[in-house]
Amino acid sequence: MAASKVANSDTFKVTTPSARVIHMTRLFDAPRELVFEAMNRPEHVRRWWGNLGDGYSVPVCEVDFRVGGAWRMVNQTADGHMAPFRGVYREIDPPGRVVYIEIFEPFPDAESLVTALLTEEGGKTRLTLTAEYPSEAVRDMVLKTGMETGAALSYDHLETVAAGLKAAPRAPSPR
Amino acid sequence: MGSQQTTADRLSATFAALADPTRRAILARLAASECSVTELAQPFAMSMPAVSKHLRVLERAGLIARGRDAQRRPCRLKAAPLKAVAEWTERFRAIWEPRLDRLEIYLQELKAKEAKHGRKQGSK
Repeated sequence: MAASKVANSDTFKVTTPSARVIHMTRLFDAPRELVFEAMNRPEHVRRWWGNLGDGYSVPVCEVDFRVGGAWRMVNQTADGHMAPFRGVYREIDPPGRVVYIEIFEPFPDAESLVTALLTEEGGKTRLTLTAEYPSEAVRDMVLKTGMETGAALSYDHLETVAAGLKAAPRAPSPR
Repeated sequence: MGSQQTTADRLSATFAALADPTRRAILARLAASECSVTELAQPFAMSMPAVSKHLRVLERAGLIARGRDAQRRPCRLKAAPLKAVAEWTERFRAIWEPRLDRLEIYLQELKAKEAKHGRKQGSK
């Protein structure tokens, strides 16, 4: 099956409301409580978070899911490359809101503050992720990392970028 | 040395230049073909000095180049700074799009399991 189409895939949007903030949103066809569980409990997290394709795995998935608790997750690619992330939970308010620090370990100074919101929307659940970087220098480190990982890039996305700049931080256009 | 800062400054200038609907419209127009200031001003119902001001901001941000032709000074899109901004966004898209697709698939597996065995989530 070529390029399988995953449900609600077209609801995924990335925007850049400002130079230090990345905003992402997506709908899921599941109740909010279930999405919250799947996103936060380690036995669930390792099943999706790092499974980006054949050969990917999550050799480390440690989650102390409480305010002030630490988490660490490592993503291993098919060619053995390790991508280790860690952080600390700042706010936990089930089933709607989790705020945490995220650090990509090769760049320990590049920490971001991530807010994950779950809201009910027409029988589905909308995830809204906002990642905020403390400075533009840090943001650029992330940018450089992105280039190193060789993320496939196309000018098609320029439109998205421009649209994101004018889009209000909230209220992504509902589908 | 200092190149980090330079990159940051350049990106800030790009973001600032893009944070205006008229300037984005000008860039969209230039993406199709290069054109003169007069041609650019037409669809915007805007005075030439106002358009020139926007063009100066875009030029400072390195988003456009002006031709040498003294009469026409045609404007041309320079995509390199946009590429840096796109990369910033693209990194997240590249990682999170497949990741969240995978989450959706997993959620459907969980739902199917629950339907089979009755709800027993919420246990630690």
